[in-house]
Amino acid sequence: MLEIIIQGVLLSGLYALIAVGFTLIFSVGRVLNLAYGAYIMVAGYIYFYFSQLLGLPPIAGLLLAGILGACMGLLKYNLIVKPLKADHIAVEISTLILAVVLQSAVILCFGNSAKILLPIIPGVIHIGNATVTYNVLVATIASWLILIGLYLFIKRTHVGRAMMAVSMDTKGASISGVDIDKINMITWGISGFLGAIAGVFFASYTQLSPTMWVAPLIIAIAIVIVGGIGSIIGTLVVAHIIGFMEIISVALISPQLRGVFTMLLIILVLVIRPKGLFGREEL
Amino acid sequence: MMDFLEIDKLSAFYGKAKALHEVSLTVKQGEIIAIIGANGAGKSTFLDSIMGLTKTEGDIRLEGQSLIGRSTPQIVESGVGYAPERFNLFPYMSVYDNLLVGAFTARTDIEKNIKVVENLFPRLKERRNQETHTQSGGERQMVSLGRALMSSPRLLIVDEPTIGLAPKICIEIASVLKRLRDEFNTTIVITEQNANFAMTLAERLYVLESGSIKIQGSVEELKNDPQLTEAYFGH
Repeated sequence: MLEIIIQGVLLSGLYALIAVGFTLIFSVGRVLNLAYGAYIMVAGYIYFYFSQLLGLPPIAGLLLAGILGACMGLLKYNLIVKPLKADHIAVEISTLILAVVLQSAVILCFGNSAKILLPIIPGVIHIGNATVTYNVLVATIASWLILIGLYLFIKRTHVGRAMMAVSMDTKGASISGVDIDKINMITWGISGFLGAIAGVFFASYTQLSPTMWVAPLIIAIAIVIVGGIGSIIGTLVVAHIIGFMEIISVALISPQLRGVFTMLLIILVLVIRPKGLFGREEL
Repeated sequence: MMDFLEIDKLSAFYGKAKALHEVSLTVKQGEIIAIIGANGAGKSTFLDSIMGLTKTEGDIRLEGQSLIGRSTPQIVESGVGYAPERFNLFPYMSVYDNLLVGAFTARTDIEKNIKVVENLFPRLKERRNQETHTQSGGERQMVSLGRALMSSPRLLIVDEPTIGLAPKICIEIASVLKRLRDEFNTTIVITEQNANFAMTLAERLYVLESGSIKIQGSVEELKNDPQLTEAYFGH
């Protein structure tokens, strides 16, 4: 029981971190960024390259992955999303294509086989009869710190408030003096950064492989659909619902069922409450 | 003599359709003018065009400086505040946060401007933490005007300030607009379908029909104009 709670909390923290960058783009830019999973995967490889192949300290690898992730977000906004602005379907198709292209690029550079990331911080800690690696513990703590930081940034700063304003009414934001384009750039940058940090932790939680982008993308989509747009608290709560559902179904029923309940939950929420559990009504 | 706001042969387009035909008008500093017109006459298009939200031809000058080619946020920064007809508020943010977003280009004046706004609309002070999607039309209009004032505008443009509001609220809004002009020397352009209301507030009127100015003059001159009486007072 204790083990389920501990593993549930840890996994959910990671899921929240994975989803929050995706939620941000969906809420502010109204773009379903299907390449988000690929950012996560590429960031894992960037970290692998710098800290395991070049031997830089893990924290440097993590930061470099984050910075390059932010750059990928900015590039994508400027080269794909902005020119295709009016056409949502075109943006979504091209983000999916981008994901496949990134997957091929990673195979070309690093090969097809899965790689194990060394833990960012080695060691384990025993809590009751549960064994927790420092690696996962750090990921969860980092996730919570980042989420709290993001929450405060959005609630307390002018730029954060402007991001929320753009997500609710672009004309209203524009006539308030907010430069929509600039806010979009900042959002894509932050989203890329968060996705990359989540990617490094996710890769060290599972393993590094060119196809690993699908699972986090589905988790992120599930959390946005179930949580509803525009709510960091919603993202956090739903990450815990999904995280615990997975841990419980794996522990009590069968490891093969991992992810199945998540899919069922997506369908259930879409049918019963399309705006999500915490989402706002579109006005 | 240069006027505060000079609009020179302004045309506006939606795609290829021309929604505004060479509209010219001038406004002096500290003046209140009203643009009257029926639904679809082009009133909102005209105000959107001042804010740089439409594709236009012609010139718009504020104190001699052309606003053409500036982005909407730059126009706000130049001193133009806009309260649009549909308010375009941020529904899931509190009244106070809505006002703070309005201060995006005037962050050093926040304290002063909040005081001004909450003094003009005491109700906004009482409802500071309420999210605007739960508010009445009159309250939203107050938030919308308040948000526009947070950028310290010298020119305030208001699209149909009284549409759908109870008479009591209309009177309150009118008195606030007058106070803004009298106490802060704010220049004000409003649009109205209600010519009676426009006449109690404005010094001069322009009548817009199908995107062109059809009649113009001071309230005194137009009070008994048969054309205007027939079309906009319904008697």
